[in-house]
Amino acid sequence: MRCERRILRYHSLKRGRVRQTWNKYNMYNLLRLRNSISSMGTFFQQKWAAKAATRAYHGEHIKEKQWERMFSRRLLSAVNMDPAYMAKYDGSEQAAGRGSGRDVKPGKWSKAQVARNTGNAEALTPYMQMTFAPQERRLDIAVYRALFASSARQARQFVVHGAVKVNGKKMQHPGYLLNPGDLFQVDPEKVMIATGRKKSSKSESLSTPKQPAAEEEAETAEEATEAAEQSVEELGPEQLQAQHLEGLKLLHQHAKKIIEANKEKLSGGHKKEIRELSQKIKEAMNRARKAGSDVQETGDDMQNLATLMSHLELTPTERKEFQKQQEQQASEAPAAETTSASPSAPTPLSPSPDYPQLKTRTPVPKTSTKFDKIESQILKRLLEEEKINPYDPSKPYATPWRPRPYMSAFAFIPRYLEVNPKICAAVYLRHPVARPGKSEIPTPFGTQISQLAFNWYLRRR
Amino acid sequence: MPPRIRSSNCPPQQLLLNYLDAPLPSSLLPLHRSSAPSSSSPSCRSQQTSPQCQQQTSSFSTSQPREMTKPQREFRAFLKRMGKQFEKHEGNGPKYLCQVHQPKVDNVPFPSNKSFKSEPVLSSRARQTIWEAVMLKGMPLKAVSAQYQVDMRRVAAVVRLMEIEKRMERENAAMAIPYAQAVEKMLPRANLDSSEEEPFEPINDVHVHSFTMQQLFVPVSESREFTRKDAAKAFGDHILPPDHKMRIPELVDMEKAILNGIPQEKAEQEFLKQTRESERRFAESQKYVAAKKDAKKSKVDTERFEFRIENFNSEAVGKKGRARNAVGWRYGVPFNDRQRGLYKIPTSVG
Repeated sequence: MRCERRILRYHSLKRGRVRQTWNKYNMYNLLRLRNSISSMGTFFQQKWAAKAATRAYHGEHIKEKQWERMFSRRLLSAVNMDPAYMAKYDGSEQAAGRGSGRDVKPGKWSKAQVARNTGNAEALTPYMQMTFAPQERRLDIAVYRALFASSARQARQFVVHGAVKVNGKKMQHPGYLLNPGDLFQVDPEKVMIATGRKKSSKSESLSTPKQPAAEEEAETAEEATEAAEQSVEELGPEQLQAQHLEGLKLLHQHAKKIIEANKEKLSGGHKKEIRELSQKIKEAMNRARKAGSDVQETGDDMQNLATLMSHLELTPTERKEFQKQQEQQASEAPAAETTSASPSAPTPLSPSPDYPQLKTRTPVPKTSTKFDKIESQILKRLLEEEKINPYDPSKPYATPWRPRPYMSAFAFIPRYLEVNPKICAAVYLRHPVARPGKSEIPTPFGTQISQLAFNWYLRRR
Repeated sequence: MPPRIRSSNCPPQQLLLNYLDAPLPSSLLPLHRSSAPSSSSPSCRSQQTSPQCQQQTSSFSTSQPREMTKPQREFRAFLKRMGKQFEKHEGNGPKYLCQVHQPKVDNVPFPSNKSFKSEPVLSSRARQTIWEAVMLKGMPLKAVSAQYQVDMRRVAAVVRLMEIEKRMERENAAMAIPYAQAVEKMLPRANLDSSEEEPFEPINDVHVHSFTMQQLFVPVSESREFTRKDAAKAFGDHILPPDHKMRIPELVDMEKAILNGIPQEKAEQEFLKQTRESERRFAESQKYVAAKKDAKKSKVDTERFEFRIENFNSEAVGKKGRARNAVGWRYGVPFNDRQRGLYKIPTSVG
């Protein structure tokens, strides 16, 4: 039976071990990480401390024996050879004179005169940072490095659970050592779970509308209504335009809300109406795009849309009643106020503060065709975003998908991988190498610690 | 069992009296102590300030919740102040921990390790450009690599991945589009535009052989031209000079032509021709190998299956009967596929 190392106090603040995860505690530990090990102890103690620190990060889930077998004292490096240099010189210029190249007279030094192989940094090759290079070949660590999992352990779990394919075939061994040219692919759904925000039961339940995003929306809507109340008397045309834009946004948010609310109980009629809605929005946008169209017209469109959406929120029976009521209103025009104020009137299910605001927007100046284009573009973009990244309560992560907190601090892809995040696939191009001035192994430790760790594993046991 | 009162220096009667005499105002009493005798009432404390009296209080859950430790407090403070900027990624570009203290150091994700930088990745536009150059324009891989300064292996990988992406698009397979958008925003990117001065990556890198990492003293006459080839030979008979290890040797030929006075356009055309030729030769050799392998097999095509039959020498099983390419089960030689301590994870998938 495989015995997993226990992960008690994994991100301890006291010990401050850095791990291969995107955890916020880990981020803090990473920032606190000391650059060197104190030279107070014996050499053995220093090596021990360095080994402990580095192994807590590099493949902490791999057993020590296994890693010792994997360790290699041959550290790979590469140097860029400039074709122009290769064409011009055959290398004999370096052995000229007394064996180490001719001296250039101090006054005559110029870049053109001195034969140089360009393309390499003027720095030492950090060989010692390559100590843990053999581990980067492991499938689970490569999956983590390609940003498909939020920790190496999670990546390992993905492999074990059969979510990872290598060259199109399922590979269930996390210890599989990738060969140059191997293509690995992770189930996109798993990647979305691993890298997305957690779904909190409170925010996702439909009964409680107090999710933060909804609150923000409500706040913005309230602000907008307040602003709109002021608008007619005080505000200039530009502010009115801004409000118009705001209104379009709100409309879109509202549409989103409706779609969200109806997602689970979609009847055929609802679906049809949603289709109609999207059609109407498209038409409105097309109309707005036309150069000759004025805002007055689009304002009307928005009103139409708003009424359409208020219809959408009602159940069929309620809608019938609503229609009846409207007919009554039409017939009893002078007494409209009393009927609308009556408590029996079916009101829309969700509070919709944007309707009165929409109605106040009728007096909009006509010199804003250019602005309309921007608005329509924004609306279009929002609709497209909604299509790509929809609200879906059936998903195990928070929808619409957002990256998990503190992800960006850990987001980098080393050069030995070529990743296509859209299909969650990556190619292991070659073994990682060190070049002058840079190493390809992502390690949080400085050269001194890595060197001590390398020395620990060098010894023959 | 009747409720027991712990042995204490405060006699129970005294406690009760105290309780009756001077009841504490409710605001001073701990909330869940209504039933407990108030051992910590002022009179008791005035009488006996022994530690045992204190002990008695601690047996009830009146103590304050444990305070946060210093590291915990510091961590909370960090999250509220500096860590705040990392919680939600904003903007269009990377945001790494190094920017907290040193805003000038760019794209270093680990503050203690400056030798590891988060280097730019190919943007989706760049990947599309490469795919178009290879698949639509039919440029040879070496030429694409030289034009965009992208490693040849990466060019091949990009094309391979893009082909999968396009196939998945055709099949309407599930893709992680919002994830890809978010990740692209978090990483430094290269668009492979002409505006970018820095090459994307070195395309002619040569692996440093461990034999060449030692210091050699080779006596050579002063008049001799000691070239790269001679140096390689000095390191070992099997060591190749870097001229033979260049990934795109055609580039060296092009530079040589330019040095010899051939105009650049002509040299570039010649380079394109050469790379195309080398690609064709490689494809042909691959085809030849495949055909040769195929010719060894005799095929029997039934309606449902095509049986491919190959000849094998069942005697060639090595000294111990365990040769790697030996075929079949042999009497008296047990399989070792379940033996302990043997590496059973496949070494390649193809």
